[in-house]
Formats: sequence, structure tokens, C-alpha cells
Amino acid sequence: MAALGNRVAALGRIRLLRSSVFIQCRYSNTLPEATVEKHRKSKLAQDPEESETESLVAPRDYKYVYPEFLPDPKPQYRDRIREKLEHEDMFRRRTVLKIPEFYVGSILAVLVSDPYAPGKKNRFVGICINRSGHGLRSQFTLRNVVDGQGMEITYELYNPTIQGIEVLKLEKRLDPHLFYLRDALPEYSTIPFDFEPVPHPPGATIPVNPVKVKLRPRPWHERWERQDLQGLQDLELPERFYERAREVAKPWEKYDLMKQYRESINDDDAAKIMGYVYKKIQELEKTKER
Amino acid sequence: MLRFRYRFRQRNLPSAEGTGSGPAGRISKMRKLVTALIRHERIEGKHPYLDEARGYAERLIDEAVRNGDQHKPTMEIANYWLLEKDLLHKLFKVLVPRYENASTSYTKMWNLPTVYPGGGYHMALLELRNNPWPDVIPQQREVKNNLINVLIKAAKEDHEKNQQLTEHKQSEFTDQSTDTGTTTSQSP
Repeated sequence: MAALGNRVAALGRIRLLRSSVFIQCRYSNTLPEATVEKHRKSKLAQDPEESETESLVAPRDYKYVYPEFLPDPKPQYRDRIREKLEHEDMFRRRTVLKIPEFYVGSILAVLVSDPYAPGKKNRFVGICINRSGHGLRSQFTLRNVVDGQGMEITYELYNPTIQGIEVLKLEKRLDPHLFYLRDALPEYSTIPFDFEPVPHPPGATIPVNPVKVKLRPRPWHERWERQDLQGLQDLELPERFYERAREVAKPWEKYDLMKQYRESINDDDAAKIMGYVYKKIQELEKTKER
Repeated sequence: MLRFRYRFRQRNLPSAEGTGSGPAGRISKMRKLVTALIRHERIEGKHPYLDEARGYAERLIDEAVRNGDQHKPTMEIANYWLLEKDLLHKLFKVLVPRYENASTSYTKMWNLPTVYPGGGYHMALLELRNNPWPDVIPQQREVKNNLINVLIKAAKEDHEKNQQLTEHKQSEFTDQSTDTGTTTSQSP
């Protein structure tokens, strides 16, 4: 009997016999795809509050301040209901944890709970070299050089073990990522753990650090000469490297309007989402003032 | 925002400008098609090529409508996509005012029959909306108020009226006959 039960459970459903009526019970915490799909198409799933949020216009730079609220532009990964639920979870997390504004190039200190660390807390200071992911899965990577050893830690922004995120220096760099610091001289990514926080007056423009990084001689992790990077000093390579870079360059991608459109959330959709985020963030700030 | 159904993945069109022309050939072909569309407002060709070019034309017009001619990046994009430079004036002075308040897509696409004998390609026609050419599917003239149609309509109405009258009379006659039938059957 138990074997039969297991076999039926493996199919995802259990059948109970009660007064000659079969009642199908789901034991698992998942819903069948057909049910979810039906709900997605149902009229109830259309947001009735949408007309209200449309009127609210967020500041222009909001999608750079809160990039994690923008969904994945790949249409096969988009699901409006899941995005909405994730946004709710993200705002709920923001009520207990202050997640500050930061950019690639900013210097951060992150405090996480760690059962194996003395005091059960671990604090890491580093320069943010990348931000990625969407929604609850959004991540950022911190890099530092500790005792001559390069260290990188990727944190999930909404990970519940994070106890605090502190911005020690708020600034931007010339490039969308700083992976080339892995091949740079260690002084460019060495940050002392007792780094003094640099005050940033609220409302001031974010300064852009124009520092040009000097790389170690080859071999490197990537062919940096083939990427259009602004924050690098002259790479001092033989001419054949630059020739090859010119051969494989794709200068038309700058003008490929459809490629850019497919790989990003379009302005109208982003404005809609950011209007909603703006409203929610204002509500959060009001409740904190009380 | 694009207001038509576009493919989620682009067609690579590997031999857009001859075998092995690659992505550079593809974008070159797209530029020629977009330029031709802005110039002639209606072009005919192979369906996959026009379908790809449609997205680029829509995005170009959308950028122009949104940002206007004072926006430097938009002007740079327009300069790249329009190979004939007099079309820059047409884009910003003719097409932008035309599509400023548009609520639909800026272009329209039609399927055409495969030419036989020929390459066997799926052909199509791509046009800008509200272009000065005659409609692709001509609108039928309003013939309801032609004299002959008015007379025919009146005659038809007359005929129907007469028919209803005769039917009414006939039904009265049959009703009487059934009444008499029932009375005779009851009497014996």
C-alpha cells in the first residue's frame, strides 16, 4: 500500500477514496502549470490600480538608483504576477534593512551573520565591481585585496543574512563593470577595513571617479583591448593585438536599435514600473519618519 | 515602445549581401531598406528582410518623435540609418509631425503572393502609415445612393409590403375554414 502511495505521490497527486467519490489532493507546494497559466490570462490578474500608478512620474534617474526593480528584459523570463510579488517582498525587506543607493565603483561595507565567525558576524569592505540580476535575485560583487590576496564576495542584495550595508564612499566609475581590477596592480583594489566614511550630502550629484587603471602585463583573464573600456591606461601591447581587435570589432552595435530594444526594458515600461517604485519608496520613508 | 508584434530573436540573415556577408552585411542591408522605406514610403521585397527592417524603421521614427531634432544622439542615429542625407529633413519635418499623436504602429506590412516561376520566396509589402499612395486594398465606392439602387430598394420594399398583405389575407381565409371544420365535426 505504501509503495502504491509513493508511486501515486511521485505523479504529484494523491487519490483518496471517500464514499465512492475520488477526491484529488495535492500534497506538494507547487501549482500545476496550467492553473498558473489560466490565472495569468484571467482578468483578475490585470492590475486595477494601474491607472493610479500611471499618473505618478518618478525622477528620470530612478532606474539607475534602483536598477534591481527592473525585470529581466528576456520575454521568456517575464511574468507580471511574479514581478509584482517580488516587488512586495523587496519592499517588505526594505522596511527592516536600509539598502542604500550605490553604483559600480562605490566603496561598501557589508555585515552578514556567519555562524562560524567570532561574534557570529562578518564584515567585509570592498569596491563594488559589478551589479547584476533582477528582482529578488539581484547581486553585487565586492572586491578587496587582503594580505596580498585578491578577494571577491558576491552578495545577494535581498539575502536575509545581510545585517547591514554601508556606503563608505559614493561614486561612479567610467565603466559599467570593473572586472579588469582582477588584472590590475593591487593598489587599485586595496581598501583598508577601517576606511573612513566619506560624507555625501543628500541630493548632490554622484561624482564620477576618472581614475585610469594600470594593468599588470599579460596573461589576463579577458582580452581587455577588445572591449570599449574607458577606465584603462594604455595597455602597452604589440600592434598585432590592436589590429586583431579592430578586425573583430562590431562598431554597428552602437546603432543596432532593435538589439538595444530587445536587451533592455523600454522607456514606457520602465517609467511605469519606476512610478510604482517611487510611490512605494515614498510611503516607506513616511512610515520611517513616524 | 514598439506597437506591433516583433520577433523576440532577430533573424541573422547570414547572406543578406551575398554569401558570408555576416552581421555587417545584415546591418548594411537593413540601412538600405530603411532608407528606401523613408524615401518611397512603400516598398516590396522578401518577407524576412522587410520584417527585420520594419523594426529598425519603427525604432528610428520613434526616437525622432520622442527626442526631436535638437537631441544629438538621435541625430547621430538618424544620420547612420539614412544613407541619403536629404531624408533627415523628411524624417524630422514630415514624418515627425505626421506621427506625433499616433496611437498605432508607424508602419504596416502586407503579405504578397509568391512569384512563380521565381525563387519561391515569401514576398511582402512594407509601407508607412498615412502615405500619399492609393490604398493597398482599395476602398469600395459608396453606391448605396445611386439612382438605380434607390429605385431597386424602393421596389423591393414595395414588393415585400404587397407580399405581407397577401399572406395576411390568405391566413384569414384558412382560419375561417378551420373554424367551420370544427363546428361541423361537433354538430353530429
